[in-house]
Amino acid sequence: MMPTWPAAPPPSGVQPSNGYTASYSAPAYTTVQVRQSFGQSYSTPQPSYPVAHACSHPQSPSPNPANIAPNVTTAPPAAQEQAKSKIDWPESVRRYVQRSFMPANLDPSVPRQEMEAKLKQTITQAHENGVMYSLDWDTMPLPQHMIREERARSLLPLHSKPQAQTPYPVAGTGAVSKKRKSWDLTDTAAPTSTSASPPWRNGPGRLEDRVSFSSDKRQPGDELSKHTSKFSRADKRQKRTDGEYKTFREDTPPPSEGPVVGTCQELEKRYLRLTAAPKPSQVRPPHILRQTLELLKKRWKRDQNYSYICDQFKSMRQDLTVQRVRDDFTVEVYEIHARIALEKGDLGEYNQCQTQLKALYKLGLKGKANEFKAYRILYYIHTANRTELNNALADLTAAEKKDKAIKHALDVRSALALGNYHRFFQLYNETPNMGAYLMDMFVGRERLAALCNICKAYKQDVPLRFVTEELYFESDMEAAQFIIDHGGQDLLEDRNNTIVFLTAKAGQTFEGPRAAAFSRVDIKGQI
Amino acid sequence: MEFSAPFFNEFAETWSRQDGYRLARTLSPEIPTEQLRKIYMSQNAHEIRNTLKRGLQGNAALVGGIEHAEVQGWVEVYAAYWNATGVILAARESSGDDSRASQLTWTKVYEAWTELLNLLLRGYQNAGFEAWTIPCLYVVSKNLRTFAIMADEERNSKNPIDDSAAANLQDDFDPETNKHQKLEDCARVLGRVFTLCQADRAPIEESRKWGSYYIANLLLKTYFKLNSASLSKHILNSLRAGRGDMPDFSAFPKSQQVTFKYHQGVLAFLEENYGEAEEHLTDAWNLCHKNAMRNKELILTYLIPCHLITSHTLPTEKLLEPYPRLQKLFLPLCRCIKRGELHKFDLALQEGEDEFVKRRIYLTLERGRDIALRNLLRKVFIARGFEEAKEGEKPVRRSRVPVAEFAAAISLGSQEKIDNDEVECLLANMIYKGHMKGYISRQHGIVVLSKSGAFPGTRV
Repeated sequence: MMPTWPAAPPPSGVQPSNGYTASYSAPAYTTVQVRQSFGQSYSTPQPSYPVAHACSHPQSPSPNPANIAPNVTTAPPAAQEQAKSKIDWPESVRRYVQRSFMPANLDPSVPRQEMEAKLKQTITQAHENGVMYSLDWDTMPLPQHMIREERARSLLPLHSKPQAQTPYPVAGTGAVSKKRKSWDLTDTAAPTSTSASPPWRNGPGRLEDRVSFSSDKRQPGDELSKHTSKFSRADKRQKRTDGEYKTFREDTPPPSEGPVVGTCQELEKRYLRLTAAPKPSQVRPPHILRQTLELLKKRWKRDQNYSYICDQFKSMRQDLTVQRVRDDFTVEVYEIHARIALEKGDLGEYNQCQTQLKALYKLGLKGKANEFKAYRILYYIHTANRTELNNALADLTAAEKKDKAIKHALDVRSALALGNYHRFFQLYNETPNMGAYLMDMFVGRERLAALCNICKAYKQDVPLRFVTEELYFESDMEAAQFIIDHGGQDLLEDRNNTIVFLTAKAGQTFEGPRAAAFSRVDIKGQI
Repeated sequence: MEFSAPFFNEFAETWSRQDGYRLARTLSPEIPTEQLRKIYMSQNAHEIRNTLKRGLQGNAALVGGIEHAEVQGWVEVYAAYWNATGVILAARESSGDDSRASQLTWTKVYEAWTELLNLLLRGYQNAGFEAWTIPCLYVVSKNLRTFAIMADEERNSKNPIDDSAAANLQDDFDPETNKHQKLEDCARVLGRVFTLCQADRAPIEESRKWGSYYIANLLLKTYFKLNSASLSKHILNSLRAGRGDMPDFSAFPKSQQVTFKYHQGVLAFLEENYGEAEEHLTDAWNLCHKNAMRNKELILTYLIPCHLITSHTLPTEKLLEPYPRLQKLFLPLCRCIKRGELHKFDLALQEGEDEFVKRRIYLTLERGRDIALRNLLRKVFIARGFEEAKEGEKPVRRSRVPVAEFAAAISLGSQEKIDNDEVECLLANMIYKGHMKGYISRQHGIVVLSKSGAFPGTRV
């Protein structure tokens, strides 16, 4: 049985970038039939390929034959059926088939029938996509491996839940349930959240005034706009679950295929979670992705539009993944995305990149391994993950321990372990790279801890300036605000034009907020 | 023992005595190669089942005492065992044989042994194997773990890169995941064995629940090896939840109690529940056989840091005397803590860092610095002597100590100047943590220490 998929809608020449404006009130989706499995889809001709993969803007599919890869077979199904017997199989495919049936490679848990079906499907699909000759069949996973892979994947709870799908990604949230969870966490609990913003985030003169990744500085207004947009996003999500957007639900786990060789020439592409095998015509090959990266770097500098950038980076990562590109360039993409996510406090996305980077460095790929190892340590300090922290320590070599960034992170760790807040805040001031964004996440709770210390140890009072300096506040104002925000309004007194902090009177004032600040991290269920 | 008359008599004998441990010996792979070969050579694949069936059914001592289904179950188990002996023989013989270097012989052993365990499980589930035979489960499970580790080692040494990892299209891949491929599989199988024991609803006397702790211990050990101690949680929870229907913990063999308490203690230790950890580890220590040096050493590795945190106590040299490894590990640190040598403490910690991290005690021992610091500050306090005694009154220590004096003491060891603000910070910490009683007067740059017990618990 031959596939009856028509060729995918070719990418349009124009990619409107204004599609990323904040409002998604007019969702452009096309209801498509759910494809339960490949077997079915072969017998049921589909009028159009789900827009999920279209590089083009879904609303303006303007076929442009010039963009179709030259070797894509465009013959109508009937013709293909006839052509089948005449196909001259390349030697590499023959070898692949042979390899599949080699006794050593047979998998007793995979029935022969199923395996044959899979093999057939793989080859016909390659044929249909016109990559029969270009695919590297020698490194192609065997059908039994693919089946096992699929099985394993279908067992993952991640995929067991039906997934609502909209053709538009709701900016930055992604569509994977795991991802969504982390966003929900951010929305409700995590210290990084903006909707439930921890007090220290609201104070004036935050760190970004001192440190910034790019020439642009985080604007105070930025916080606010992000705040509201996330609300509307949550709103949207709610609507979606209420069924306001009538989209199909997808039950099947994403099928796995061999590596795709992309042919897409577009630079930009929206991220959509794959629900079917990726189409080569919608996947950008590495040389295009390199151009994309350059473009995105420029865009980020110019526009600072995080939802756009995050979305674009996710689609880049996806293209790299489906093509199994794991080289220095992959590392670069993940590193840049991680840095941007860090700057924007998007710990969920950052964490994904970090996990992937760890694996990539382990493969021996070059990159800024030390910079990211340092972030990793700071991240574990933030999440108070002792086990991982110990693992991270165990993984460090003597040379790495001397690296400036890693040494800094280790010093931070040890200062905190020993309660040496004086040293901690000095280190906070000298954080290399972008570690300060991570330290921002826990500097508030450490200030509370230090305040508790000071209140218990100092009698009768200390000048407010002392608190400002020890806890590295920008100004006396900020320090005072911090104290007031945590219930210490009665502890400040103006005495001969200097403000003193009445430590002796504090009692248990800061113990409550301290405990709360430290317990909040535990909720973050990430590594 | 090859499958002939003596074997069937032995089987029948253990059967009438219900001696599970003796029965289990017939399923052990830990026997000399010669004997293994005898077993394997005594049969062939065609005849093995018939021989077993005839032997078991025909044995006079068993007739009437054993169900047909059960006989069938044991036939399958022993046939699988026989099959495994062949593979083990091949593996033992190929070690050192370079011509077969590319073959993963221990992987085959692991697979054959998994089959044996599966058939054994089926015997309990379907063929009505009785609970007294569970030592068979112990022996087979324990060796499954051994074979899994051997299979992983062999594979990692022969082809470090497994291409099945490349087939992974998942966004998150980890080149390390394949390192423990078989051991992870083993953990899953052991999980099933654990459930088999734990979920048995038969009355206590004949329940497989008696096997729960043995298998739980194997599982916990495996999780530790896999570096995923967190998975142990559900085992502990399951045991806790089923405690009502379980025999009393003290009714289990002591060896199982010790191992379980040790694991429980280490898990609590890793979660920083030092009080709980100390409790479990102390139990394990008390129950441990006096000559089980290795086990006692392991227990002390975690119990000593526990004591440092909970009661600020250090091990005596006498306690460590029989354990040269522990002496090397702990004595340098202990000495520095006792003498309040802060800088030397830092150096000793650095010196042993790799070992400490490997044993997961680094982050705990680091906190011993507090005690070293306290002892140093205490020395300063004592060195300052007493106020001029008034007549008829007990002498009182001079309790107002300039911060600068503490600062001098702290930088004495390292010869590095430390600024007063940082010293104050360290002092504040001491006060906050209750190591020192008193307060800092920033205005005057002095510390006012309590006249009654400035350093609680140290008689000063």
